[in-house]
Amino acid sequence: MKRYGWLPALGLALVLGTGLLLAGCNSGTTTTTAPAVGGSTTESTAPPETGGNAANDTFTYAQGADPRGLDPALVDDGESSKVISNIYEGLLKYAADSTKVEPSLAESWQVSPDGLSYTFKLKQGVKFQDGTDFNAEAVKFNIDRQIPPKATADMSYGPFVYGSVKDVVVVDPSTVTINLTQKNTAFLANLAMSLAAPIVSPKALTDGSNSVMENPVGTGPYKFVKWNKGENVVLVRNDDYWGEKAKTKNVIFRIIPDNSARVLALNAGEVDMIDGIDATVVNTITQGGNKLFEAPGMNVNYMAYNTTTEMFKTVEARTALSQAINVEELVQSLYQGYSEKATTILPTFVPGYDATVKQVGYDPAAAKAGLAKAGITKVHMIAYSNPRPYNAATGATLAAAIQGYLQKVGVEATIDTFDWTTYKEKVKAGDFDIGFYGWIGDNGDPDNFLNLLADKDPTMNIARWQDPKYIADIKAALAMPNGPERDAAYGAMEKYVAERAVWLPISHAKTLAGYRPNVSGFIYHVTGNVFLSQAVKQ
Amino acid sequence: MLTYAFKRILWVIPVMIGVSLIVFSLMRVFSPDPAPIVLGQHATQEATDAWRAEKGLDEPVYVQYWTYLTGAVHGDLGVSYYSNTAVAHEIRARFPATIELAVAAIIFASLVGILLGVLAAVKKNSLFDAASMLVALVGISIPIFWLGIMMIMLFSGYLHLLPTGGRINVLLEPPKVTGFYLIDSLLAADWAAFKDALIHLILPALTLGMYSMAIITRMTRSTMLDTLNQDYIRTGRAKGISEVKVIGKHALRNSMIPVTTVIGLQFGALLGGALLTESVFAWPGIGKFTVDSILKSDFPMVQGIVLLIAVIFVLVNLAADLMYAFLDPRIKYGSKKSG
Repeated sequence: MKRYGWLPALGLALVLGTGLLLAGCNSGTTTTTAPAVGGSTTESTAPPETGGNAANDTFTYAQGADPRGLDPALVDDGESSKVISNIYEGLLKYAADSTKVEPSLAESWQVSPDGLSYTFKLKQGVKFQDGTDFNAEAVKFNIDRQIPPKATADMSYGPFVYGSVKDVVVVDPSTVTINLTQKNTAFLANLAMSLAAPIVSPKALTDGSNSVMENPVGTGPYKFVKWNKGENVVLVRNDDYWGEKAKTKNVIFRIIPDNSARVLALNAGEVDMIDGIDATVVNTITQGGNKLFEAPGMNVNYMAYNTTTEMFKTVEARTALSQAINVEELVQSLYQGYSEKATTILPTFVPGYDATVKQVGYDPAAAKAGLAKAGITKVHMIAYSNPRPYNAATGATLAAAIQGYLQKVGVEATIDTFDWTTYKEKVKAGDFDIGFYGWIGDNGDPDNFLNLLADKDPTMNIARWQDPKYIADIKAALAMPNGPERDAAYGAMEKYVAERAVWLPISHAKTLAGYRPNVSGFIYHVTGNVFLSQAVKQ
Repeated sequence: MLTYAFKRILWVIPVMIGVSLIVFSLMRVFSPDPAPIVLGQHATQEATDAWRAEKGLDEPVYVQYWTYLTGAVHGDLGVSYYSNTAVAHEIRARFPATIELAVAAIIFASLVGILLGVLAAVKKNSLFDAASMLVALVGISIPIFWLGIMMIMLFSGYLHLLPTGGRINVLLEPPKVTGFYLIDSLLAADWAAFKDALIHLILPALTLGMYSMAIITRMTRSTMLDTLNQDYIRTGRAKGISEVKVIGKHALRNSMIPVTTVIGLQFGALLGGALLTESVFAWPGIGKFTVDSILKSDFPMVQGIVLLIAVIFVLVNLAADLMYAFLDPRIKYGSKKSG
């Protein structure tokens, strides 16, 4: 026995050593730094776990996945966006309860008569969390890195937010002019977005390649402390913040992937607020003594006809099929009150929403006659198998429900179901009669929703509908200044699309969150972002 | 002995090449195109093409593989498509959590499994035997996520004894040295942190270890029963050796070889990460991360993780094989004299 006494130790060492071995294999090409445990860490580790006031000084928000990263130019997901919204600010921001644009880092702005130059007067005396000054140069630096020639291919939202920017001119330290290549009224709404638009400290961006993904520096009410991958992101109050200081000292974004576990953590009082809720857990949340936050969501869930097929190239055929579907009943049974029936493509709070728009109504008798006339007996549907933010029930479930309605009018529907990424490939390939899709609004501008139907890209415009009048109208409305005339133009376009039955809008999913009864003051915005600086725990 | 171990370690090289080749081809054949996932819903065709060119995805697959292989040999596993961070850095951030949980789970599984197995064998056909086998059966059949949720509901929701998930209360987190919170909190002599990390470990370790525990119990019982029927056990008893010594030294040690194999394999599997346990207990390990990376077609990340897991399997198996020599002096590796 003695001879091999060292063996178990060797075995264990081998196993544990592997991890270290790997740790030693540092990449030669990247200079990623580990999450900073900076000076503020000691500050935040001070409060003990069970102290009455200390617990109230920490707000814990649980979400289902890690942020992709914390550089607003390089990410596109809601998990990143929520964290980013509390660290950074943009030139503009949205009103608390709508997508109306308000001043933020820019105090005021002027649009030139030709609509091509936007001049912003910046707030003075604002500093980034690394102590450097926020000024016109910083604005220029942030936009320049996201437009050609500096922009890189992986900047998901740069082309969307800054696509119409020609150049940025620093007039003086507190004045900056952004020149556009074409009139684009949605540009102002873009500047309030939490992706691409937030202003990052130029010093942090130039200090080391990619460090902002893991060490964000903005001007916002909270500053970054650390990010334990897969576990949590820790923020601490920015005591030098220019605006109203954050009420709660520490904010922790905890990652709890499992939906049920997230609800249990809320019920146990370990976290103060959770998202990623669906109808199935609402009762558990309220029975646990918690509150439910419910607000309309900036999204639309729809069914689209492939208008390039022989079957659905006519308005009559599309209308007849839409008449077979009882959308109201469908939405109630599938989403149990947590989605609203869509009467328009635009959600109700987006400018341009028009309550008088009517979609094709439920009329099975007319459907039967119309479908017989068009000779439609079989349709091929494709659907996605996973839940989407606009469709908690999954595309497959929605398709199956519609299959049931079609059966009643004598149409046999076959459904091919794919995971989301494969599904998008299938949409691109175009081999389908009916597809299911949705849109999550980016900037709260009506153009963001309605230009989908004018897009040439079949992964955006899955109906593949190309109507010259509609395309011209979209282009004209984009150039109109904000106001009733522009809103009316979008209302008219909604009617135009509805009459042609290109899509059958199904629903707008509500934004749901659960929170502890002692929590108040948070802003859960229609864009899906959560602003925690004024949140308090009693 | 050392020569043997060294030879076995050399085997890692062909295994790595084989595994990397398989995972490389599988990802490229069966995974959806990563470009739309990485670039998001506003990606233009030009951006997509530029990105594919930048990542070398427009090259022939064998060129891509060669580039990858030469990089990996130099310790460069590449950069994640999705998060734009180094693969090694991302794995390093999560692997300590997996090791910590796997070690805790296998310790629980081995101690309880061997104990139950031995007692069940010694008290064969007793009520205790039946009860142990029932526990083992339940342990094998129970769905992990359900068990996890039930444990949380009981111990966190109802009894308020243990936290629902996570590795530690972040406000108590010790300074990072090894990444293992238990070790780091000891290094910092921070007992509050150690206690907190420990109570966070209990439920996930029990849940994750349940299946392994059940397998080990059954394996121990059956090999113990075999051993207890051997002539030398009867001889030992006839010589008047105490029952404790007969069972504890002669029988148990001789039964341990198959059990060690099982423990080694189970431990290797646990180190590969535990998707369900990690999800339910918000445990930031490698299992959930692997699945997410596969779903995102994050080729470099998946390749890096799979290579790591392959190496671990080889090494854990080697450790188990070396344990045989320790358990059974008749087994010797290498050709030199037995000593």
